[in-house]
Amino acid sequence: MGSATQSFHGHHLPVAGSIREPLHAIGARFDSPESLIGAADALRSAGLTRFECYTPYPIHGLDRAMRLPKSILSLLVLGGGVSAILIALSMELVPTCLIYPLVVDGKPVDLVALPMFVPIVVALTLMIGAVTAVVGMIALGGMPRWNHPMFAWDLFAKDASRGFFLSVDATDARFSVRGVSELLENAGAGDITAIHLETCAHDGGSQPEGRHGN
Amino acid sequence: MSASPSTTVTEPNAAPLPGVLPRAPQVLNDRSPLWVTDAVCSIVEGKTPLWWYAAIALSGSLAAAGGACILYMICTGVGVWGSNSPAFWAWDITNFIFWVSMAHAGSFISAVLFLTRQKWSLSVSRAAEAMTVFAIVCAGVYPAIHIGRVWYVWFLAPIPNNFGMWPNFSSPLLWDVFAVTSYLTVSSLFWFAGMVPDLAVLRDRATTKVRKFCYGIVSLGWLGTARQWRHYEMMYVLLAGLTSVLVVTVTTIVASDCATSVIPGWHATIFPFYFMVGAVYSGSATVLTLLIPLRALYPQLKDLITPAQLEKVGMLLLMMGSCVGYVYVFELFNAWYSGNVFERGAFWERFNGTASWYAITCLSINLTIPQLFWFKRVRTCLPLVFVLAILCNVGMWFERFMIVTTSLLHDFLPSSWGNFHPSVVDILTATGTVGIFFTLFLLFIRFVPIMSMNELKAALPGAQPHHAGEGR
Repeated sequence: MGSATQSFHGHHLPVAGSIREPLHAIGARFDSPESLIGAADALRSAGLTRFECYTPYPIHGLDRAMRLPKSILSLLVLGGGVSAILIALSMELVPTCLIYPLVVDGKPVDLVALPMFVPIVVALTLMIGAVTAVVGMIALGGMPRWNHPMFAWDLFAKDASRGFFLSVDATDARFSVRGVSELLENAGAGDITAIHLETCAHDGGSQPEGRHGN
Repeated sequence: MSASPSTTVTEPNAAPLPGVLPRAPQVLNDRSPLWVTDAVCSIVEGKTPLWWYAAIALSGSLAAAGGACILYMICTGVGVWGSNSPAFWAWDITNFIFWVSMAHAGSFISAVLFLTRQKWSLSVSRAAEAMTVFAIVCAGVYPAIHIGRVWYVWFLAPIPNNFGMWPNFSSPLLWDVFAVTSYLTVSSLFWFAGMVPDLAVLRDRATTKVRKFCYGIVSLGWLGTARQWRHYEMMYVLLAGLTSVLVVTVTTIVASDCATSVIPGWHATIFPFYFMVGAVYSGSATVLTLLIPLRALYPQLKDLITPAQLEKVGMLLLMMGSCVGYVYVFELFNAWYSGNVFERGAFWERFNGTASWYAITCLSINLTIPQLFWFKRVRTCLPLVFVLAILCNVGMWFERFMIVTTSLLHDFLPSSWGNFHPSVVDILTATGTVGIFFTLFLLFIRFVPIMSMNELKAALPGAQPHHAGEGR
């Protein structure tokens, strides 16, 4: 499967996935985080935006090389926390002061003693904040998903936990197989591979349009 | 920005500045990232060892016996416990506080030490988080069943109902419900979310279809893309921040159960601090109790769980244990200094009354054992540390009993003074929670990566690029 090669206007690349399916991306493997960062920087400088780096652990400086903005997760969590405060306060105050006023020692109900409501507000804020953080991380990271075209590439599927990988999406406006491969080669990449989508077992792999070549 | 050979450095190889000690290596023997992955995954992927079956059979039987007791209690009533006037709170609340407190050291190690960039905690944090989650599960057994009629537990939830009945939000017991629920939720999420990248490693390495499917589901389709890591790292910092707050708030709320009442021996403003230091103290002891055998049973972990890291957990135990000792002395001083006859009476009774052996055991363990950790020879002798750590937890259990029950035995009215004797159901339920804890922990060892591989790999020398900027 990994031994097949494909020619793109005289440029030969090993192929992963099904050659009859459209080209998904050009994948490459790097030996070190430095060379991966260099490649990301070079791709970005060449105007490519739709590429992705895969690393076994977070690499400092990679997001800067890819010009990725700061994660918006903290804002989401702030929103989650603030709404949790409102939810908790209304959950406590509405029953205690309006629906079922609890008279203790004959003290007037309208003298709302706020301190007693604080612990539950804190607990719920932390809980909803944490749920937002995890759900947000999952959603922003494009998860959960069953499969990914990258897994058509054997080397990646087996080695994603060790190597530093990069894939340039074929849908990028500035994508060309030759240009991208040369760029990656110059950046020190190895195992540059054309990754096609896999044939779907049930629909026989009929896709409306192919994006082979250039 | 690293010191290159060309820079003018007086000493060869850019030795650390004089007076600055080199950092202890995170992983011993210059291991590679691949070695770390293999070492951690081999526990999950290898053949199940025989001791594991024996251990889970034992802990599973304890848990089953505990479950049977709980069922018997629910069917019969709380009368099957030894709790009776005046000790309406006995082993149920003692065990609840014991377990929920133990959980705190896990959060402390994984969240507070993460935020303060204490890299040594990396290899112990996953197991500590697991301990947190399982200890909360054990703690959670009690609040639900101790109310007697379990089917009324929904009264605690603010659900609009046709009785027009609402929970009393000013009651610390209701705070407990929210504190423990949020603690369980947050620490489980922290534990799980931290594990997702490592579960993906197991998925990629899986050799059978079943394993690939199962790890594929739980790893949520993680790919390790730069975009995912960016959100993941942000999430991890946020969760660590939220969990750090919980370390303080949950014990404070649990301590308020006692402190907001007027019972002598309970009514003290030092209680939140008292509970928190005791919590981290008993939790550090549990971390040592779990990790020392784990390290011995899986020799490949010896380079990952280093004696230096265990020694630091020992130091944490020493610090928190000393705080606990301070509170004991302070409490006694306060009882005397208050001039309050009931307060003085309660503390006199605590050490001279019918249940005095609880307090005497507690103090004799908790005032002495942690102090042994001043000696490096003790801290580094792991078999001894293992035994001492178990003793610390025994001492902490007696402390929780001393606070909760012996205070109740001697309140304001001499006519209501009494004693407490646990029943068989009490004892088997308590050992049942120990069984639940160890069963869950054994399952954790067997099916989940017990260390954060991605954090360890990121902390290895050479894992991060030398130039943090752009380009090469």
